[in-house]
Amino acid sequence: MTLNLRNVLLRAAGARLSANTEKRAVLPASRRFQSSSVISPDSYVPQTSLSRPPWPQLPAFDPEEEDRHRAVVQKVNGLIEEGAFGRLFAVVHFASRQWKVTNEDLILIENHIDAACGDRIRMEKVLLVGGRDFTLVGKPLLSRDLVQVHATVIEKTESWPMVHMRFWKRHRFQKKRIIIQPQTVLRINTIDVSPKLF
Amino acid sequence: MVFLTLSCWTRNRGPDRYWRVQELLKSARHFRGRKNRCYSLAVRAVRRAFIYASKARKAKRRSMRQLWIQRLAAASREQHMKYPALIHNLLKCSVELNRRVLCDLSITEPRSFQALTALAQARRTEGLRAALGEGAEPPGVFSRITQLQGISQSQRS
Repeated sequence: MTLNLRNVLLRAAGARLSANTEKRAVLPASRRFQSSSVISPDSYVPQTSLSRPPWPQLPAFDPEEEDRHRAVVQKVNGLIEEGAFGRLFAVVHFASRQWKVTNEDLILIENHIDAACGDRIRMEKVLLVGGRDFTLVGKPLLSRDLVQVHATVIEKTESWPMVHMRFWKRHRFQKKRIIIQPQTVLRINTIDVSPKLF
Repeated sequence: MVFLTLSCWTRNRGPDRYWRVQELLKSARHFRGRKNRCYSLAVRAVRRAFIYASKARKAKRRSMRQLWIQRLAAASREQHMKYPALIHNLLKCSVELNRRVLCDLSITEPRSFQALTALAQARRTEGLRAALGEGAEPPGVFSRITQLQGISQSQRS
């Protein structure tokens, strides 16, 4: 948690949380574990014993490191521009699941999608893209200009009728329900990478 | 002589008992022994089968996750790292790949998985060095302690 003025005052005064605090939203795990070593210049905090975190402040810009990064980025950009990556694979977040996909893949999704059969879909949440000699890892997502994943809706069916049964012995309790899930089949058409790394 | 009251005493119990029985026996046809033919035995066996299937569908998710964790532990130990360190440091780098996909990458894309373990290892040593007081960056890996901009900043500040 950032040590800004409000948190410092709350801790120092030992104040109780007021009754109408906002409901704490559940953050994803990656956000809970992030440390703030780089303080943005917009928030000014007067220097006290608790105004800065106890670990050292890394500089936002380190010239040697930037040179090394620039070399790697130029190399990968060159590979992408030439097209020397072979078959690309991507990790895509779709329908609350993560899928590792390539071209010509078939995906079965266990729910209904608001698209007609034959529609072309673009999957925007791409977490990772890889080729023969490089991998681009998003933190957590890659930008829309960098990767494009297109898919087509092939089939919209229902699953086989699954029986959900509950039973307690010696209690005359028995329930039977037939569950039929809607399913959608997608075919991944293309994964495109554009040389826009910086 | 005509006996008319005899037909008043007969009961029509229901026209479709045969089809109800067949519907249940159809789910029991692949069972072993008399359970696949005799209705009374089949009722009990089919009920148990449905209950086991319902419970197993819930347990499958648990056991799949357990399998992924075991595989990730083995794969990360091949790269001289432990599973908790891998997961924790990938989360600290804001890489939100789930265990299933990480497991698939470790099997089908070993070089990408190696890169991810290197990233986690670098973040780990960086954090350790920062905690011990040195500010030096470990060589060879593009790992910065980056932050999610925008939403996370406004939530926390």
